[in-house]
Amino acid sequence: MDAPESESPPVSSSPITSISASAVDDPLSSPYASLNSHCHDLSALQDLACRGAWRTILDKVARSRSLSLLSRPHEHLIYLTFNVLALVKLRRFADAQQEFETLDDDLGSKQYLFESFPDQYPNQKPGSMVPFALRWLHAHLPFTLGDRQLSLDRLYVLLHFIRDTKLSRNRDSVTEISIDLWKKRETFVINSIVSHHLTLKEFKVCLYLLKSETGKTEDPFMVSKLGYVQMQYGDLEGAKRSFELVEKMVEKSEGEDANLNLKNLVGRNKALIYLVGKDYVSAVREYEECMERDASDFVAINNKALCLMYLRDLSDSIKVLESALERVPTVALNETLVVNLCSMYELAYVNHADIKKTLSTWIARVAPDDFDTSCTRI
Amino acid sequence: MSSGGSGGAGGQPATHSLAFRVMRLCRPTLHVDNSPLKFDPCDLLFGEDLFDDPIAASHLPRLLGGQSNASALDPADLSYRGRFLLQQPTDSLGLPGLLVLPQAFGAIYLGETFCSYISINNSSNFEVRDVVIKAEIQTERQRLLLLDTSKSPVESIRAGGRYDFIVEHDVKELGAHTLVCTALYTDGDNERKYLPQFFKFMVSNPLSVRTKVRNVKDTTFLEACIENHTKSDLYMDQVEFEPAQYWSATVLRAEYHSSEPSSLLSETFKEPILIKSGGGIYNYLYQLKFSSPDNAQFKAESSKILGKLQITWRTNLGEPGRLQTQHILGNPVTRKDIELHAVEMPSVIMLEKSFLVGLNLINLVDRVLGPFQVWVSESGSPDEKAVVINGLQTMTLGEVQPHSSLKFQLSLIAVKHGIQKISGITVYDTVEKKTYESLFEMEIYVDLE
Repeated sequence: MDAPESESPPVSSSPITSISASAVDDPLSSPYASLNSHCHDLSALQDLACRGAWRTILDKVARSRSLSLLSRPHEHLIYLTFNVLALVKLRRFADAQQEFETLDDDLGSKQYLFESFPDQYPNQKPGSMVPFALRWLHAHLPFTLGDRQLSLDRLYVLLHFIRDTKLSRNRDSVTEISIDLWKKRETFVINSIVSHHLTLKEFKVCLYLLKSETGKTEDPFMVSKLGYVQMQYGDLEGAKRSFELVEKMVEKSEGEDANLNLKNLVGRNKALIYLVGKDYVSAVREYEECMERDASDFVAINNKALCLMYLRDLSDSIKVLESALERVPTVALNETLVVNLCSMYELAYVNHADIKKTLSTWIARVAPDDFDTSCTRI
Repeated sequence: MSSGGSGGAGGQPATHSLAFRVMRLCRPTLHVDNSPLKFDPCDLLFGEDLFDDPIAASHLPRLLGGQSNASALDPADLSYRGRFLLQQPTDSLGLPGLLVLPQAFGAIYLGETFCSYISINNSSNFEVRDVVIKAEIQTERQRLLLLDTSKSPVESIRAGGRYDFIVEHDVKELGAHTLVCTALYTDGDNERKYLPQFFKFMVSNPLSVRTKVRNVKDTTFLEACIENHTKSDLYMDQVEFEPAQYWSATVLRAEYHSSEPSSLLSETFKEPILIKSGGGIYNYLYQLKFSSPDNAQFKAESSKILGKLQITWRTNLGEPGRLQTQHILGNPVTRKDIELHAVEMPSVIMLEKSFLVGLNLINLVDRVLGPFQVWVSESGSPDEKAVVINGLQTMTLGEVQPHSSLKFQLSLIAVKHGIQKISGITVYDTVEKKTYESLFEMEIYVDLE
């Protein structure tokens, strides 16, 4: 049985380790054969999360714990992460904080390292078994409890942790995949930081952070976000330049075969430029092209409805949103879309309470557990 | 935040078939989500360092096989995976480009455009006919008609139906404004009814502009400080000084040398001028020059008004506002009649050794000036003056013709060493009885032996 040829050999290549590595690589007995062999019933947890069944996840975690179904340390950590995430999704922030209190303050402590359990992980390369999302949730939680500043501080600390200890390692000692994952995590943390600064209207900081990000990755989506920030504080000329840059990037990289997402990105950006120039008719046309290419482009759907309103066509704007909820509910059922629809109801109907109640009832039947029903303003 | 406003005055039985619903339609905003809570499955399902191990890394694609980091969500997919999994790395920014309708009436400022969606609903069970709709803005000073359908009344609004319109008004006055909407219609009982509704709002001042004018020789500098009194940051789209007749203006900007290397990106994303809400300020500096036909009297009068400042700002999604300042006045320019320049200076000045300074007295006006007397006045300080006249303390000069000059020499002596000032040279016109002080100052270095 061969060890994977493409990978560099494990750092400690003693004969015993090599033999064990070969034995472990048997697809039938490998701990990496499937999600479930890696961790108890993990694919079920994953599936529940995709369906938005967060309350069920809480039950499952509780049951797994009480029935002692989790045998290995890393399984406890993964289940704990899902538990915290579920509580945060359900906006039960104080309970999430309590979960964290069962952990060591320092997520880098020995008890969360593979090498602390040589019996459980005889062949595993040393490292942390903490799912990265748990670190991020730890940084995010203070904000949910009212302390945004502490969250920002923790996010910056996390960013430095990634840069100083993970991304600065010798490329020969870690896999490509690992470096790649840490680069994605770096972007993830920077994006969270920008999001906070954006809510605080600290636009210049956002621009600075986004500029350095776009410098690193040639991502047309990132440049578009920069354009949205410029639009948000009113620099229309700047936004136009950003969107033109996006168009160039998309043309250069993929040309006519650009995938659906990129084509719609360019289309939606064009529509925004028409919109701020008050040419709502052209904006609607661009959004309709996007919807023809991708019927689940809910940003195009939502924004088209708003354009119709600015064209004095309240009835059609309502129809666009209602039909989207009917046709593609799992995509269109978005809190912002519902806020817009309710604003339209309040304008269109003197007795809007009734129609909002109907909407609310439908949402209760269809929506995932984490849907924030306060958006209907009932 | 739509509202039906307060009803009409007078004792009207409030059984109207129609009702006005009003929503301020300023530009939408882009939604920012602080917690999109979307993740990469690798960050949840596996320990963060698991894939440091090459064996684990080799299995990753298979483990994630079931996932689609699929960019386009398949509508047939009835899961909410879009709320849980990142489709793009930038999803974690929480800025999807979703527009949100204005959620509150908000504040309205002078210079903005008030825009409103108005909907008349027929909430009765009967058709309503011949609807004459009027919308106007009333302020303390005036009434402005925004909409009037008297010439072509709306023929009918069915039961449960609506008639919509959008009105716009450039706000040019401060204080209380009332949007008055009235409908005159025939209801189901064939009665002609009149429905007035009032929506009040206040207009406040968004900015204040403070100016300082300074004259340095022939140049006038205008410093304008703009202060933001609104609740949002203002993007200064255009701030232009429009000079008055015979004035020309150049804006002076600090050279901004970015520490980053110039790239396509840094040119695309220039630093914006954003004035923070609730008291933020930004300063502009203009250099003004006056140039007119030679008439000196004309100069003195017309130079008082410097010009106006035109300001265009923008807020969310480019919502514009425009204001112009009043006339900005310059300092009263006392055009000088005479000027005094040094034309000859010794290269070395020794302590307590007299030296000659060659001076030129220029007559700037159209008439003969002088004869003059020149002396160095006592300084006000208790210290002795550093440079005094050597010899007769007062010198007499003759007349100077219009626009002509007179050269003369002053013999001076420095009584202190080091860097000293020649100052206090006073010129007195014996005929017009005018004293000119501070026409001339110069620093000199006085050597020791």
